[in-house]
Amino acid sequence: MSATEHQATIAADGSFTAPFELAYPYDRTIGPVLSRFFRGLAERRIEGTIGSDGKVYVPPAEFDPVTGSACTEWVSVADEGVVKTWTWHGHSGWALVLLDGADIPMLHRLLAHSSDELSTGMRVVAQWADDPTASINAIDGFVAAP
Amino acid sequence: MGERVAIVGFGQTNHDQCRSDVSIAGLVREAADRALQAAGLELADIDAFVLGKAPDMLEGIVMPELWLADALGASGKPVFRVHTAGSVGGSTAIVAASHIAAGIHETVLTIGFEKQSDGNAMWALSVPLPFGMPVHAGAGGYFSPHVRSYIEQSKAPAHIGAMVAVKDRTNALKNPYAHLQQRGLTLEVALESPMLWDPIRFVETCPSSDGAAAMVLTSERMADRLKRPTAWVQSTAMRSEPTLFAGRDQVNPQAGIDCAKAVFAGAGVTSPIDEIDVAEIYVPFSWFEPMWLENLGFSAPGDGWKLVEDGETNIGGRLPVNPSGGVLSSNPIGASGMLRFGEAALQVMGLAGEHQVDGARTALGHAYGGGAQFFAMWVVGSKKP
Repeated sequence: MSATEHQATIAADGSFTAPFELAYPYDRTIGPVLSRFFRGLAERRIEGTIGSDGKVYVPPAEFDPVTGSACTEWVSVADEGVVKTWTWHGHSGWALVLLDGADIPMLHRLLAHSSDELSTGMRVVAQWADDPTASINAIDGFVAAP
Repeated sequence: MGERVAIVGFGQTNHDQCRSDVSIAGLVREAADRALQAAGLELADIDAFVLGKAPDMLEGIVMPELWLADALGASGKPVFRVHTAGSVGGSTAIVAASHIAAGIHETVLTIGFEKQSDGNAMWALSVPLPFGMPVHAGAGGYFSPHVRSYIEQSKAPAHIGAMVAVKDRTNALKNPYAHLQQRGLTLEVALESPMLWDPIRFVETCPSSDGAAAMVLTSERMADRLKRPTAWVQSTAMRSEPTLFAGRDQVNPQAGIDCAKAVFAGAGVTSPIDEIDVAEIYVPFSWFEPMWLENLGFSAPGDGWKLVEDGETNIGGRLPVNPSGGVLSSNPIGASGMLRFGEAALQVMGLAGEHQVDGARTALGHAYGGGAQFFAMWVVGSKKP
């Protein structure tokens, strides 16, 4: 940060306004559960955790959203599933995809040329990045299953 | 103050410079689970949750309570968030106690936390607002002129700040949760510590910590049933004043004086130095110990440093201050006030372990925040009020 002089604009009524930009570098520690999920993605593996009622959460829940108990059991799920709902935004779709083996749908991109290709209930499959990293972008998006 | 309020569980994390092993949710749960374990309760037994942390900008997380609700098992229950800068850990506990005193909720889990390693507290406190007073050097830069003013007004010897640092860092060696475990600190070594914000030395400054604190507060009815070591809230008080106005006494703020008078009156304490057995006071820079001793009425104005110099604030002294090691040894900002409140409770429960003050029956927990403008205090005791 530097002690810059702010350039004020003065309105007709004499009141002052000055622009004000603020940026700070932050870090984010995500803990052991999400770290394992992202490590899995780098190896083209999608993993979830099992809640206290047996539901499979993907991405994994660190703590059961209902009871608060720590989720410690893991399960691998498929990289394909069903579109539960979707929207079209600009050049791609966004969907809640219920992966086979999961009980909670996951938000990701739907790769398509137009919204005409998309529908609720359609089967989709992950299109993995050529060189997946430990990131949600290890999956480019989901495409219609062949 | 309405229904009696009992503290039946206090928990804290192992505070450290960077708890990269946990998410914020995991950090919060570490403290919450320990508090619940101490109380012999589970998340399902909690009726409401009251959360506090320092300003969101310190970690760049806006409204962490939104996603902490499930990490706390708070689905379907009330969640409250309290904001009062550095005093938030204290005021959060007071808000939690108020729910019970008012008879609205029976058992409340209250939590304060900060993951300073994720953020940038010093510069986030130094926002260069147009037409505003630039701080540009964090809390130390803001408070150092007040400390110098105190030294000049009180004629305190220059080594008092270092004495407090040696005491608190030595006390921290008796507290396994404390962040700094600085062995062999002597007055000679402390006095050689470099100046950070003249007249505040490096050793006289709190660390940046990751940590959380949590307490289970409950009704008299439930506390009697649980039969756990219990601290009883005797009195709570909060007072505020603006950061800046002409004539404000920043060495001895009126809001702090008024808050102390209110909390002691509420607890029936007429001579704090004689009736309070131990005090956990928010001291992020060591000189604030004598300053707050005066502000709280433990001594006459200008005399607080004499209690320090005579060793009266050591464990075993007339008024042990910060036997836990205090903010000078652990400063997860949003939790720091709650650590003071919780450590005061631990003392009257007799559960403070190696840093237990013998025979502690009445204790003060104190927090301040902002530009020394928000004050939160409670007096807790081993007996029902």
